[in-house]
Amino acid sequence: MIAALEIILRLAGWLVLAPLLPGIINKVKAWVAGRRGPPVLQLYFDLARLWRKSVVLSTLASPGFVAGPAIAWVAIAGAALLLPLGPAGAVVGFRGDVLLLIYLLALARFGTAWAALETGSAFEGMGSAREVSYAVLAEAALITAVLSLSVHSGSITLETMLTPAAGPGAVLLAGGLFTVLLAENCRVPFDDPNTHLELTMIHEAMILDHSGPPLAVILHGAAVKLLLFAVLLTEAVLPVGAMPPLAGTGALLAGVLAVTVGVGVVESLLARLAFRRVPLLLTTAFLLCLFALLVAWKGGPA
Amino acid sequence: MPRFWLVSTVLGAVAALATAGSVLFQGAEWEWRSSFLVGGEFLYLRLDGVSALFLALLAVLGGAGAVYASEYWPDKAHPRSATAGRAWWNVMLASLAFVLVTSNGLHFLLAWEAFTFAGYFLITLDRHRREVRAAGWLYLAASHAGTVCLFAFFAAVASHNGSWELGPMREHTDLAPFFWLALFGFGLKSGMFPLHIWLPSAHASAPSHVSALFSGVTIKIGIYGLVRFTGWMPVPDIAGWVIAALGVASAVLGVAFALGQHDLKRLLAYHSVENIGIILIGLGFAVVATATDGGDWGRLALAGGLLHIWNHGLFKALLFLGAGSVLHATGTREMSRLGGLWRAMPWTASLFALGAAAISGLPPLNGFVSEWLVYLGLFDGAIARGPIAWPLVLAAILLGVTGALALACFIKVCGVVFLGAPRSRAVTHAHESGLAMRAPMLVLAAGCVAIGLAPVVFWPAVATAVGAWRPGWADAATIVPDSLFALSWAHGVLAAVGLAAATWLWQRTRRGLQRAVTWDCGYEMPSATMQYTAGSFAGIITGWFAWILRPQRHAHCPVDVFPAAAHFEEHTPETVLEHVVEPAGAAVMRLATLVRRLQHGRLNAYLLYLIVGVAALAAVVLLEDRP
Repeated sequence: MIAALEIILRLAGWLVLAPLLPGIINKVKAWVAGRRGPPVLQLYFDLARLWRKSVVLSTLASPGFVAGPAIAWVAIAGAALLLPLGPAGAVVGFRGDVLLLIYLLALARFGTAWAALETGSAFEGMGSAREVSYAVLAEAALITAVLSLSVHSGSITLETMLTPAAGPGAVLLAGGLFTVLLAENCRVPFDDPNTHLELTMIHEAMILDHSGPPLAVILHGAAVKLLLFAVLLTEAVLPVGAMPPLAGTGALLAGVLAVTVGVGVVESLLARLAFRRVPLLLTTAFLLCLFALLVAWKGGPA
Repeated sequence: MPRFWLVSTVLGAVAALATAGSVLFQGAEWEWRSSFLVGGEFLYLRLDGVSALFLALLAVLGGAGAVYASEYWPDKAHPRSATAGRAWWNVMLASLAFVLVTSNGLHFLLAWEAFTFAGYFLITLDRHRREVRAAGWLYLAASHAGTVCLFAFFAAVASHNGSWELGPMREHTDLAPFFWLALFGFGLKSGMFPLHIWLPSAHASAPSHVSALFSGVTIKIGIYGLVRFTGWMPVPDIAGWVIAALGVASAVLGVAFALGQHDLKRLLAYHSVENIGIILIGLGFAVVATATDGGDWGRLALAGGLLHIWNHGLFKALLFLGAGSVLHATGTREMSRLGGLWRAMPWTASLFALGAAAISGLPPLNGFVSEWLVYLGLFDGAIARGPIAWPLVLAAILLGVTGALALACFIKVCGVVFLGAPRSRAVTHAHESGLAMRAPMLVLAAGCVAIGLAPVVFWPAVATAVGAWRPGWADAATIVPDSLFALSWAHGVLAAVGLAAATWLWQRTRRGLQRAVTWDCGYEMPSATMQYTAGSFAGIITGWFAWILRPQRHAHCPVDVFPAAAHFEEHTPETVLEHVVEPAGAAVMRLATLVRRLQHGRLNAYLLYLIVGVAALAAVVLLEDRP
């Protein structure tokens, strides 16, 4: 009973807090550019507005056009539930849960990419193709990062893996995971969430035809995924799980905030990469994670 | 008559399934020796966990394929070949089952030949097409190259033991080198890279229910051979590494080649290469584990590999049957001529989508469970930080890459075939297939969901097989269940919540729903030819793998301000066949032609050969004699 209550509370926390992150990123970008920018809560307003609207659906689309985003959203929320939250630990944890997390993200990708192909639009096909192709490299980096945490902690359960964090390889792992975060969440320099030129986009190109509640679900899912990666990155670098409760919670929040601000700063200072350079950057991320693994290997047991 | 055949085949399949189930779930082994001779040997049949695992799969796919065939290859449409198809189907099932249960090398070879021939006749059921005959010949030639090695293997083992009978013989360490013969012979049948040359064309050209049986069971018989004889016989120290390395190569390159295909069934065939790779990774590292520290991680990897045999059999047969329904409805396997089929074929589209998600290793379906077990084995081995851990790390990363590539490939297939707008007239006349074709697909899909949602139920069967592979590993049942139990729960919740969310969002969407033309940046008249194609979808990834795919491009680019006709075509060849095997074959033929020049019918030259020969012999003898 208490476990069920905790699951619901955590889920609510994830779902309610997630839309803050894009707001913070946009605020940071506005500050750097000297603008006032949209309110931090803008995404909440957008989601509420979208949810009230009715839907215009392509004549070609099947029910999968709507089911895809719904399943993707459930998968992302499920992946988020698996993550331990600093000193509070994980609410569900078992050997190998980290692999379930990675593959739940893959399930989410399947859902959104499927939905994108429903309309027969070349732009959405393009976005979908880019998404699934670059994900190959991102997944290699992510699995390497997870392996380095596993080797360092001698465990394949998320909670025990993340409690000691990455140890001496933390800086390398932070670089690698941050790059993966940018790629997986379609931020600059991989993708530009602001542009409306369909030819140059990944994520935005996939959702061109979505409107109303399905679009709200996609946007909210994307926000939860960003928060998930921010928490994962923070916990992989800082041993928040091993800290006393108050300090740990503070460190986790500060870490997530720092990552979010970092995304905003990167987005303000960098331009989007040419697509042919994307694999190079992702390979760099993979190599960073691989070196982190090497450090964990030679660093001795945690 | 066809109905009688169908009923008896399905009853036989059910009986075989029940037998296999009783061995797997109750652990009872079954043995029988005949009192009469067959081919000079007593029959010696034995059904243990390893055999039963494969027999169960054979029974399910044999029965499902028979039902499917009754509508897919009926007497009305194929008056000549339908009867032959039914007969060879049963020869195939019987000889495959015999291969699985016999413990006599000679009988093994006989049954092996029988199913190879049955396979040839099944592939070439539609033999008035040239490409089908070519595929059949390639299959037959490649199979016999493998069979030669198996003859040598069994003969060597028999002459060493003094008997054709087989059984555990791990103490005869001098048998180890013969493993390489078995690896080539069984590996060729299993379609591992680079011995897969026969597989894509055979799977693509065969009738779809035959493709399903081939991909689901027949290539697994190659795996059966490897599992069986790595379990019974001593192997060289390096054997496990070789199997695992071949597995990794098959997995990554299989899916890379699949991405380059435009033919639906050829693409699925290359995915068989990929999944065989995943199975071999599990088996290979299990052999490594027995040769080194014998840790628990080897059991997990083996269990994952063995479970993947079932899983791949189920979802790949489902996908091939789905592809068969598409072929049946539209008359084409060319993906660039399909599109938007979900409207005409909602059942096929949804079942194919389920199979696609399962083969991409996505939770909560069965593909994820077996890949998860393999991962657990690899991770456990890696965190032990032993001297062998680096290859495990590499394999784990490449397994992840394979999963992501497979996902990309199946998004491509589903999107191009079932979604979007119809690309040709073939699609507009498509129709959903009848009950006899849908029912087997439903059964296979149910199998995929069942193993995905309740892996704990199937774990004892896999544990029995692991125990039968290596007696010391009989306690395998004890090492996973806790986390597997948790995974079952997670999968159940995920499936329930996912379904509920999808239904709810669809209900919410339908309120005030309007339909409009697809948004194409303000363009008012998007047409089917403007859609992204299979080739462009996979273009990014096939570009990365161009070093091995060697795609052939024929481009005629538009030039000038008012361009005339333009044209672009890209085709991925059978690289190994066309760039390695065929040049090697051509070299052999050239050499043979050169040698033939010696034979010209001029007597004086022949006399010269004789004199030279005798002189050479004399020289050898004289030189030998000198102290």
